[in-house]
Amino acid sequence: MHPNKLKTIYLSLLLAFICLLLPWSGIALKIRPDFVFLTIIFWLIRAPNLCNIGTAWFVGLFVDLATGGTFGQYALAYTVAAFFAVYYQRRLVLFNGIQQAFYVFLLLIISQLVLLILKTFSGADPLGWLYFLPCVTGVLLWQLAVFFGLNVGGRSRGS
Amino acid sequence: MARSFNKLEQQQAPAFFVRGPSAFARLVFFSALSMALMATDSRLQYLTTVRLNLMGILHPLQVVANAPTELYHATAEYFSTHHRLLKENSELKTQVLKQNIALQQLNTLTLENDNLRELLKANKALVQSSVLSEIMHVGRDPFTKKIIVNRGETHQILTGEAVVDATGVIGQVTRTYPMSSEVTLITDKSLAIPVQVERNGLRAIAFGHGRDNTLDLPFLPTNVDIKRGDKLVTSGIDGVYPAGLAVATVSQIEITPDSPFARIICVPTGGVENHRQVLLVSIPETEMALRTHHPAHSNAAKSEMAKPYEKPIGKPSEKSVKQAVPVDAVKPTKNTAPE
Repeated sequence: MHPNKLKTIYLSLLLAFICLLLPWSGIALKIRPDFVFLTIIFWLIRAPNLCNIGTAWFVGLFVDLATGGTFGQYALAYTVAAFFAVYYQRRLVLFNGIQQAFYVFLLLIISQLVLLILKTFSGADPLGWLYFLPCVTGVLLWQLAVFFGLNVGGRSRGS
Repeated sequence: MARSFNKLEQQQAPAFFVRGPSAFARLVFFSALSMALMATDSRLQYLTTVRLNLMGILHPLQVVANAPTELYHATAEYFSTHHRLLKENSELKTQVLKQNIALQQLNTLTLENDNLRELLKANKALVQSSVLSEIMHVGRDPFTKKIIVNRGETHQILTGEAVVDATGVIGQVTRTYPMSSEVTLITDKSLAIPVQVERNGLRAIAFGHGRDNTLDLPFLPTNVDIKRGDKLVTSGIDGVYPAGLAVATVSQIEITPDSPFARIICVPTGGVENHRQVLLVSIPETEMALRTHHPAHSNAAKSEMAKPYEKPIGKPSEKSVKQAVPVDAVKPTKNTAPE
């Protein structure tokens, strides 16, 4: 069994953060999945005792820093979406793969929606449907990771 | 909701599965915290130093993240063919030759210009120093037009400096970090740049359009003398951009009978996609020179001038309109009638 150590969590978050820092540009930037939040969702489901809403908030602050926007935007978006992940965590572990992917997609949409609201308040243009493209690529990445053997809280599933 | 949730928690959670405060409590706490942060960051300027220091910590990570592409560029350069290098070399030689000739003419012209200015008792145009810098990456938010370059506070970069590439103006430094700085492109909604039509010297202010890579020239009457294909250059009266740099070309003019203003769309000349190197042009020191003559007078002008650039640009565009117009309105009187 892979031990759910704090060190593993922070290392994976750091890795996801570096993925975010990669020099994305053009179309790749538009479809870039939210690596950091996907990692947080994974740990929220997998080890809710070690990674909680506070972690999501704190990591969100660093994402804010990296994107150069107003402090707290990503932090709030991650907090709200993480709340829904934690709230249904016990049911989530029992979901099958498709259900889980759908729920992850919903969480990504929630975080993007919160961000959209905050951005609209600070005077951004209407952004169009392309804005939600990272959610789609995000859930694809999630499925890919699951396909390659990432175990999302498989302990309680038994089979 | 919180109470019912707590009840559930008590019923479901045995002692060995303690989770601390309820999820809802955490949500409320951290949401309030982020709201407070957002308010502080957007309304007050307390967090600038915090951001600066944190960016300093983040820089090593950035270097790590940039390493793969750097390696790719390095190896690609190493393996570039002999033939291509030779071709490039000959091209560069012809270019140098052409530019040398132009430079010789420029020298005589500068001399002549200086003499003429002397005769007219006008202020001398000051040479602005510039720093060569490389684009590290495009901004991470795909919906704002920003780039990060690899020169920062340690290289004496200040906010407000103009950013120029080989073909024209591309933007302005809006935030400086210890080792890097953030450049807002002229196509960003929050950036305005004073321009002049090259053909007839008509002055205007160009605003970024935001979504597609274009600029708008708003608030010009329908009978304005602008044609398609007109070149827009910096007017230089803002005291930030050197005069005469290419900014954009007029691509479309729409005149609707129900609006007193023409809708003019321009395509920027400089491009971020094409070049990796950019020049950061420092703010000219005419203000300083003026201050030595009239301390009180020019201090006011200085603060007036510094205002739009001190705040990180990322605010609603109405605000930047208000901020940008005084710059243009104040400067011409200073430059055309200095004493």
